Amino acid sequence: MLWLYLHFPHLLLDHIRRDREDQRPLVIVEGTGQRVTQACPEARDQGVRAGMRLKTAINLVPELGMVRAQPEQEARILEDQARWLYRYAAHIVLVPPDGLLAEIGSLQKLYGGLPAVWQTVEQALNEHRLTAWIAIGHTPLAARLIARAGKGECTADKGHILRALETMPLVAAEFDGKTCTRLQRLGLNTLGEVFALPAAELARRLSPETLAHVQKIQGTRPDPQTPWQPPHSFRQQADFIQEIEHTQGLLFPLQRMFSELEDDLCWRQQDTDSLHLILRHRHEEDTRLRIRTSGPEHRAEAFLNLIRLRLEQQPLRAPVVALVLSVKRFLGREASTSQDLLGENQDLNEAWHTLISRLQARLGEQALKRLSPQADHRPERAWSATEVRQKHKTRLAAPEHLPRRPLWLLQGPQPLTEPPAAWFAGPERISGGWWDGQRVHRDYYIAQLQNGQLAWIFRDVREGWFIHGWFG
Amino acid sequence: MSELLNTLMQDARVWQGHRHRRTTQPAEPTGYQVLDNQLGGIGWPRGALSECLLDAPGIGELHLLLPLMQRLTKAGKSVFWLNPPHTPYAPALAREGVDLDQVVMIHTEDAGDFLWTLENCLRSPVTGLVLAWPGKLATREVRRLQLAAEAGSNVCVLFRERRYAEQNSPAALRLELTPGDNQDLKVNVVKRRGSWPGQRCSLAMAHRADLTFREAPRVVQGPWNHSQR
Repeated sequence: MLWLYLHFPHLLLDHIRRDREDQRPLVIVEGTGQRVTQACPEARDQGVRAGMRLKTAINLVPELGMVRAQPEQEARILEDQARWLYRYAAHIVLVPPDGLLAEIGSLQKLYGGLPAVWQTVEQALNEHRLTAWIAIGHTPLAARLIARAGKGECTADKGHILRALETMPLVAAEFDGKTCTRLQRLGLNTLGEVFALPAAELARRLSPETLAHVQKIQGTRPDPQTPWQPPHSFRQQADFIQEIEHTQGLLFPLQRMFSELEDDLCWRQQDTDSLHLILRHRHEEDTRLRIRTSGPEHRAEAFLNLIRLRLEQQPLRAPVVALVLSVKRFLGREASTSQDLLGENQDLNEAWHTLISRLQARLGEQALKRLSPQADHRPERAWSATEVRQKHKTRLAAPEHLPRRPLWLLQGPQPLTEPPAAWFAGPERISGGWWDGQRVHRDYYIAQLQNGQLAWIFRDVREGWFIHGWFG
Repeated sequence: MSELLNTLMQDARVWQGHRHRRTTQPAEPTGYQVLDNQLGGIGWPRGALSECLLDAPGIGELHLLLPLMQRLTKAGKSVFWLNPPHTPYAPALAREGVDLDQVVMIHTEDAGDFLWTLENCLRSPVTGLVLAWPGKLATREVRRLQLAAEAGSNVCVLFRERRYAEQNSPAALRLELTPGDNQDLKVNVVKRRGSWPGQRCSLAMAHRADLTFREAPRVVQGPWNHSQR
């Protein structure tokens, strides 16, 4: 087994910086708000260092942006990294707060050698604009120690790895504080000197745990790791330092999130038809947006167009401090018949979904209706309007057996104000609805009004005359 | 001078009256032979606006488009009804053989949304026919719609009031519709592209209420002044 360890020295900083358009100095402050823990290159250029007191840092750079580190946020961001790494390696272990471990011994054959694996991971890190220190070790702990020391090399040679470990100072070996002090009092300074001690003595004089730690580094004791399972949903969050007040400002981070969603969907070989977008505000309740496409979709561009339309219609209630995109519903991808060999034949089905999604995003889902006849004798109940969803085929039994009806039906019957010029057909008695309280008892006639309109009129039980439709 | 004239004559942009031929613009037959003849044998222009000018619904204006609707929905093209004044009655459409899966009814809140929706529908390749009831439209907006219609290749019919017949409009075809005496529909071509307007015809529309073989039973009442014995 061979392990690859990724140590992210300033993960939170990278996460925030990649959703920012301006590059002003930025630092991450520890939970208590006293000290700077991570500083971006711009801040470091002006003299801000990790470990510095926050007051000092602000004196050095007055326009400094600050973000307070939160453990749960860091855990979430680490999981985001595991998600993309999962595309390259199967056995991944999260090492909170800032490390990822991947088993790569089994990948060498797939990628064609260790250097290729190394290169793939480095390239992926570049694409995600992340800084990470990489190291390879024959045990998880060895890989971790070398990575955190920043001495990672692309080698599978056990002897070479052990030599690198032996020169490492005792402080970097992650013994607990008490053990470390005791070992130093014994006059030991490097890990190599600890390795040289007899195992039985180490356990007796110090503690069995210390021996276990040393053996896990060396690889003489098994160190089982539970693999991480990727979740069956997609979730991305962008955090902003400056609150975003205009929808235009949201499009930049959204663009990146949608392209990651597209990658994720392509990799899953799935599509989705609903997105959930949560806009977090500082003092107000979150704005929740649900965007539906009319059909399965995976292209970032299509999602971006829909969200742009939606945001144009719905201005922001309050400035936005964070943005969460989640997708829980996945659909199997159909074979794309979008283009023929010459790329000339546009897929009408896809064009239909695009059009309907666009219209629904701007006008609302209620604005578009599809009509269908219903089995009822009462004219106002003999039809229904449903929302336009998937394109589906409904077959009517025998449309020609339907009775003669006008093409226009009025929203409600209108009283007839003048006597018709000519009577044609009728009466046709329609009586029903005693079963649900919407009683209808009418005699219908076809008549022409004075101005030439052909109307469908009826007389009800109260002897009133009404127009119910036009023969358009 | 004559040389200059000759070069001008060669120019395709100069249109000479005696060379009047059938236009070659893409079109869809209306399904009514009489009307097709009046429209130069072509019918509804595709990729252009058409206007139907009428005062009140119920004179056969939908039946004028029904053959086209039937043909397009069978061919898998969508028919959009944009802001219809009343409800298109589904059982009647189904009875006439219109595939309701292809029919989408859209209601918009304001004029901005209306124009935007219409433009989007017109530009899409899935659209076969758009029926729109725009209400008030500025000439500039009609022009904008005409440009959008040119981008696509589908039939777009705007239903407007008859008083707009006096105004000029960039639409390619304008028909004035009035009811006739025997439930027929009188069509007056106010404008058509590529030829002279002014054709008139009358389309039998009595079948829209199954009145083909029935004469209107008119009540003849007395008293008669010159009664003869």
